[in-house]
Amino acid sequence: MRKFLVVFCLIAVAALGFAQETVTIRLAGYSADTPLMQDVLARFVNGVIPGVQVVWEPITEDYLAFVLRTLSAGTAPDILYIDLYWAKTVVETGLIQPLDDFIAASPIISREDLIPVLADAFTFDGKLYAISKDFNSLVVFYNKDMFDAMGVPYPNADDTWATFLDKIARVSNPPDWYGASINPDAARFLPFAFAAGMPFLKEDGTAPFDLPAAKMGADWYTAFNRAGIAATSADIGVGWSGAAFIAEKAAVCFEGGWLIPPIRNENPTLNFGATYLPSVWQGGPRGNYLFTVGYGMPVNPPSGRPDLVFKVIETLTSPEIQTYILESGHAIPSRQALLDSPFFQQQDPFALATKTVFEATGLPGTVPFSFGDVGGGNYMGAVNEALTLIMQGEATVEEAMNAAADNLDQKIGQ
Amino acid sequence: MKRKGDGVAAFLFLLPLLFTLTIAFLYAFVRTVYFSFTDYNLFKITEFVGLRNYLSLFKEQFFVLGLIHSLVYAGIVTASQTFLALLLAIVANQKIRGLTFFRAAYYVPSIASSVAITTIFIWLVNRRGTVNWLLELLVQYWPLIVAALGITALAQALQVVWERRHGLPVRALDPVLLGISFLVGSVAAVILGRTGLIQPNSGVEVAIPWLTTRKTFLGIPLPLLSIMMLNIWTTTPTMMILFLAGLQDIPRELYEVADIDGASPWQKLRFVTVPALRPVMFLVITLGLIGTIQMFDQAAITAGIAPLESVITLAYYVYWAVFGAGTLPKVGMASAAALVLAALTLAVVLLQRKLGFSEKGWYS
Repeated sequence: MRKFLVVFCLIAVAALGFAQETVTIRLAGYSADTPLMQDVLARFVNGVIPGVQVVWEPITEDYLAFVLRTLSAGTAPDILYIDLYWAKTVVETGLIQPLDDFIAASPIISREDLIPVLADAFTFDGKLYAISKDFNSLVVFYNKDMFDAMGVPYPNADDTWATFLDKIARVSNPPDWYGASINPDAARFLPFAFAAGMPFLKEDGTAPFDLPAAKMGADWYTAFNRAGIAATSADIGVGWSGAAFIAEKAAVCFEGGWLIPPIRNENPTLNFGATYLPSVWQGGPRGNYLFTVGYGMPVNPPSGRPDLVFKVIETLTSPEIQTYILESGHAIPSRQALLDSPFFQQQDPFALATKTVFEATGLPGTVPFSFGDVGGGNYMGAVNEALTLIMQGEATVEEAMNAAADNLDQKIGQ
Repeated sequence: MKRKGDGVAAFLFLLPLLFTLTIAFLYAFVRTVYFSFTDYNLFKITEFVGLRNYLSLFKEQFFVLGLIHSLVYAGIVTASQTFLALLLAIVANQKIRGLTFFRAAYYVPSIASSVAITTIFIWLVNRRGTVNWLLELLVQYWPLIVAALGITALAQALQVVWERRHGLPVRALDPVLLGISFLVGSVAAVILGRTGLIQPNSGVEVAIPWLTTRKTFLGIPLPLLSIMMLNIWTTTPTMMILFLAGLQDIPRELYEVADIDGASPWQKLRFVTVPALRPVMFLVITLGLIGTIQMFDQAAITAGIAPLESVITLAYYVYWAVFGAGTLPKVGMASAAALVLAALTLAVVLLQRKLGFSEKGWYS
């Protein structure tokens, strides 16, 4: 009996020791990323980094709500997605771990390896809170066949607001296809308004939408739909402008690199190109948004091993994995070293569009897709509503933009 | 017969429920009451602010709008769905062919997920959606529709007069004759349309933005009105089932007595059916009021499309104050609003009982 007990205790100790060897790290991200992330984790992380088992947790609810809820309850996963869009709000909770010390101690990664604009975007009060996993910005996607059919030159980098509007008017051929699919969407409109000279807020901290630059931007942005040469995706009967483009119901749309994988999957023979957003006038300013999502960790990750958590983040943003993600066409990598990737030298439309998106991010006038303390929901909600009313002819540009300014001021004032 | 230990046994049986109630309701409720007096953002309680949250609620545009919308919504939807459900239940209580099919068909909207139904609804009321398409057909073809109906009426009148002249006592709306008249009317309308004697209003386009608009109808925002229609459609069947159960409990003798007294169908409804249904009516109205005053899901889904000001309700305000604005959550305000909502729900149900819709039956 005593012998049995000794053996039992030995087994128990061994099992305990084994259990301690493997640390489980929870990584929670958008459920849409599931196939890619499971693939990446199986190939490059689990079984490769010793003693670490990363578990993928797809999140279907509103991701910001998930982050706030779990951070507040102390049940946040070890690795979180941090969208630049709401990064500041989450960092302000004081529950996100700055990564500077880990980077300083790391033999593999240094801050110089990150693309500066991305590192800066996630830096608050001098501390870096997330490492970009990828990034995106807006470009004009155009359907070459439709422009050829109507004998209109393709949109190009020299287009101004006026020449672009003219081209869309000439390529529009309803009911077969519209010149463009344009939605009352602040995330598309605001880069144009910023290019026209609208500040994020006025100097006194109030809403800028009643400024002439904002109205000029709104007038141009809604002109397409008001003239019937563009339609919203809802009017075309699809969920988003990209879908209208893929279905060849619109000759042009303003989207980012996220449109490339769906084109490849759903309409791989689509004859398309991509170019920069038009500038306000010849050689004039051009706006754009930088969209990026990074990996971050909470102050006390549940695994209790922040060092290993950082190790996983470091691996997930390593050149090796980023090359893999780039070549799979899923996203644009955030590592400086990948800018010279041979992938960008290819001449197929998918690689060319990826390259255009990549270059567009670097153009002057590109600002982070971020709303600071104002709240993206507040800011964009006011703009979306104004654009909707203008496009439907329920309000003039003047009325709608003044109302949007009042609307945001009320929300900020609360 | 009460035995010793019965109380303990009962308590043991109640324990699982009491446990969940204590955790999920009582604890949450106490916390909410506490938060409603603080300036809390999920991460740090900055201070105890007394009644400030409650006072500033009524200065906040979205809360006041939500309050008005919730009340209007509860009133209109509860009244409409109770009336329609009673009507449907009386129809479904008849002995007609295919009754099971109709009952099932009526009930389908109630069992489908409200999120799925709302998403489909959004497609239906799209600017180029089915609802506008049907309206467009109506607007374009109304001259022909009116012609068809007119000719049908004329044919019916002629037939009835003819049959009566020949000594047959037909009713004015005799179904067989009506079928023939309708056929004549439709064929005539098609011929009139084809020969161009009556022109449809071609080229008329109906593109009413039901959801993405600030327009109002009788002071009610159009998007909220759309949600009302949707909710009446999906909840009426549930209420119909309740009424149906109530109807089947009414003793047949009452109707027989009414028949002997020579009561008309309307009198039977007014003096037998409705009074006998009072307990069910109380249940239907109470469930209706509680459900509608706390409406959240449809508002949350349509708020992605419609202006927030047009669809916000009290329950959605509570969510919006925490997760909607993209800023740190305003938990103090949201808690205060949630308690106002709870108090309002209670008050409305109590008021309803005072007004006489109580659970007491006709026999008491």
